[in-house]
Amino acid sequence: MDLAFTPDEQAFREEIRDWVHANLPADISHKVHHALRLSKDDMQRWAKILGAKGWLGHGWPTEFGGPGWNAVQKHLFEEECALAGAPRVVPFGPVMVAPVIMAFGNPEQQQRFLPGIASGEVWWSQGYSEPGAGSDLASLKCKAERQGDKFIVNGQKAWTTLGQYGEWIFCLVRTSSEGKPQTGISFLLIDMKTPGVTVRPIKLLDGEVEVNEVWFDNVEVPANNLIGEENKGWTYAKYLLGHERTNIADVNRSKRELERLKRIAKAEGVYDDLRFRDEIAKLEVDVVALEMLVLRVLSAEKSGKNSLDIAGLLKIKGSEIQQRYGELMMQAAGPYSLPFIEEAMEAGWQGDFPGGEVANAPLAGTYFNLRKTTIYGGSNEVQRNIVSQVVLG
Amino acid sequence: MDFDFTDDQESLRDAVRKWVAKGYDFERRRAITRDGGFSREAYGELAGLGLTGLYIPEDDGGLGMGPVEGMVVMEELGRGIVLEPFAQTLIASALLSGYAPEAVRSAWLPKIASGDSLVVLAHQERSARFNIEKCEAKAVFAHDGWSLTAIKSIVPVGDMADAFIVPAMVDGKMALFLVERTAAGVANQGYVTQDGARAAEVTLDNAAAVLITLDGLTALEHGVDIGIACACAEAVGVMDQSLAVTVEYMNTRKQFGVLISSFQALRHRLADMKMQLELARSMSYYASLKLNAPAEERRSALARAKYQLGVSMRFVGQQAVQLHGGIGVTDEYIVSHYFKKLTQLEISFGDTLHHLGEVSSRMQDTAGVFA
Repeated sequence: MDLAFTPDEQAFREEIRDWVHANLPADISHKVHHALRLSKDDMQRWAKILGAKGWLGHGWPTEFGGPGWNAVQKHLFEEECALAGAPRVVPFGPVMVAPVIMAFGNPEQQQRFLPGIASGEVWWSQGYSEPGAGSDLASLKCKAERQGDKFIVNGQKAWTTLGQYGEWIFCLVRTSSEGKPQTGISFLLIDMKTPGVTVRPIKLLDGEVEVNEVWFDNVEVPANNLIGEENKGWTYAKYLLGHERTNIADVNRSKRELERLKRIAKAEGVYDDLRFRDEIAKLEVDVVALEMLVLRVLSAEKSGKNSLDIAGLLKIKGSEIQQRYGELMMQAAGPYSLPFIEEAMEAGWQGDFPGGEVANAPLAGTYFNLRKTTIYGGSNEVQRNIVSQVVLG
Repeated sequence: MDFDFTDDQESLRDAVRKWVAKGYDFERRRAITRDGGFSREAYGELAGLGLTGLYIPEDDGGLGMGPVEGMVVMEELGRGIVLEPFAQTLIASALLSGYAPEAVRSAWLPKIASGDSLVVLAHQERSARFNIEKCEAKAVFAHDGWSLTAIKSIVPVGDMADAFIVPAMVDGKMALFLVERTAAGVANQGYVTQDGARAAEVTLDNAAAVLITLDGLTALEHGVDIGIACACAEAVGVMDQSLAVTVEYMNTRKQFGVLISSFQALRHRLADMKMQLELARSMSYYASLKLNAPAEERRSALARAKYQLGVSMRFVGQQAVQLHGGIGVTDEYIVSHYFKKLTQLEISFGDTLHHLGEVSSRMQDTAGVFA
C-alpha cells in the first residue's frame, strides 16, 4: 500500500502540466479562476486546442484515436486541467455520445460523426430528460415513428445543457409503447438545424442561461441516424453509466475551489475568525476524504482487483462538497455577496463593485447555481436508493 | 498510488480474523468484562500468533512489520471488539524501538515481543484534557537515577500492565520515562471502562524510572499519532460489523407485514452509514500511510483522519442502534457494545472537536491529499 504516485505517473503529470500551461489561453483560465462568464467561443477554443492534440477524446480506445491512458493517467490529466483553470470539457460529444457510437454504431456512423467530435468542431447536446421524465427517465414520451427510411420525431426534451450552442443532439426517443417502458426506447442522433427543431433557453436562478427546452415538431430524421437496434436505446444509455465514474466526484475542481475559498476568506477578514475557520477545516477534511475515496477506486481499476461499487457515494459526497464551498464563499463575503451586477460577471469589467471587491460579484450566483449538483446526474436521493440496494444485497 | 494489500497482509488479516471468530466470541468477551475487563490469557493468545512482536525489529525478537500490518490487525481486532489493548503494545514497541537507548531496548523489546511484558502509555492528566503538551508530572535525577512524581489517568490496564511509558517534565521540558508497575512508589486504582475494558488511575510518588528520551514531546506526539492510527483502524472494523449486523437485522425484521429494509427512510439511513464507513476507511488508510511522514505532516494528517473517523464513529454507532429499534439499547444484544466501543474510540487520543481545532490551526493554503 502506497499513497505516492509512481515515478512514471509523476512524470506523466508533469508532462501534462507543462503542456496545459503552454496551451491554455490565459484569458480563459482567468475567467475560470474568478468564476466569470465563459462564452461559447471560450469553451470551443479550449475544446479545439485539446482536439488538435488528440486529447479531447482522452478516454477513447486507441483504435479510435484515443491516447490509451489508464484510469490514473486520465485522473491526472483531468486534475492538471482543473488546477490550471481549464474550463470543463463539454462532455456530451466526447464523453457521452462518442463511446456509444464507438460501441454500438456502425462504421459509417463512426466515420461520419467521430472526427467532428474528436476535433471539437461539432457541438453536441444531450436529449434525455423531459418535463415529465426526470428521475423516472424511462417514462419519456418523445416519440419517433418509423416511416420508410426516416423517423418522424415529436416531443420535447428539457434541461438540455448549453443546447443553445448545440449543432447535433443525441436523444432517447420512444419507438414502442409495448411492454416495460425501458424496452421501447431508441438512441437517435438528430441534426439541430433540421426543420421542426426549436430551442428555447431556460434562465436559472443565477440569471444565466445554462439549460434549454428543445421541441421536436414533426422532425424528419434519417433512419441511418439510429444507433444500433431499435428499442435497445436504454441499454446503450446504461452502458455509459457503467463507465469509469471517478470524475463525477469533481474532487480536482473542489481542491482548486477550496484554495480559492481560503483566499476569499482571508481577503474578507474571516479566515482568522475561529468559527469560520473551523467550517473551512471541516471542508478541508471532506475534500481529503473524497480524494482518498477516488484514489481507492482508481487503484482498484488499475490493479483489476476488487472493484469498488461506490460511484453513488462519489456523486453524493462530491456534490455536497461543491455546494459547501459555494456556500462558504458566499458566507465569507457576507452582505457584500448581495449586489447583483450582471456586468461584473464579465472579465475586464471596470466598474465599482459595492464594497470594492469585485471578486465577490459571482459568489451568490455560484452558490445558487450549485444547488443543481444534488439534483442532476441522478438526484442524491436516487443515488441513496441505489447505494442502499447494494448494501442490502 | 496503490491501495491493494499484499498476500502476506491478507494472510495476517485471515489469521487474526480466524482467532477472533473461533476464540473470542461475544460470550467470552462478556465474561472478561465481568472479571475486570482484561484477560492475560487472551493477550497471551495474541502473543502466540506472534502479534505482540509486530512493530518490534526482528533483531529484538519481533516481526519488524509496519503501519499497514498494524492497521490490518487493529481492524480485525475491532471487528471482534477485543478488550485487550493491543494498540498500546504497538505504541510502546514503536516508542522504545525509535527513541530509547540500547540498554532499555534490549531489556524490554524481547519481553514485549514474546508477550511476557505488557507496556502501556500513561499520559493522560486531569487538567490537560487532550492537550498532550500540558504536563504536570515531574522527574528529578538523583544519585541512583530518575524518580517520577505524577498522577496519570485512564491508563489502559493500568493496574495490571507490567510497565508504563510516562511523560514528565525535566527542568520545564518534557521527557519520556519507563516505570515498572511493581516499583516502589507506584499505586493504582483500577476500574472497568464504559466499553467493557480495563483502565486505572496511576499515582507515582518518587517512583524509580528509566529515561527513554529527553526529547519527550516529539516522542509522545509520535506515540499518540500511532494511537490515533490504531483507533481509526479499529473503528473501521467495529463500524463494518455494526453495518453488517444492521443489514442482517433489517433483512429479517418484519413490521406491517413487510421487511423493514423496504422502508425508504431506513434505506437512506443505511446509505448514509455506508458513506460514513467508506469515508472512514479511506481516512484510516490515509492515517496509516502518513505514520512515517515527517512530524508536522504526520500530525496534520492524523488530526484530519481522527476528525473524519470521529464524525463517522458517532454517526454509525448511533444509527446502528437506532435501526435496531428497542433491542438496540439492550445490554444483551451486541450492537450496543459496538456503539459503546465506538464511543470510547472517539474520545481516545483526542476527540472530534479537539482534532477539528488541530486541523483548523494547522491549515495551509493548499488543499487535498498531496498538498
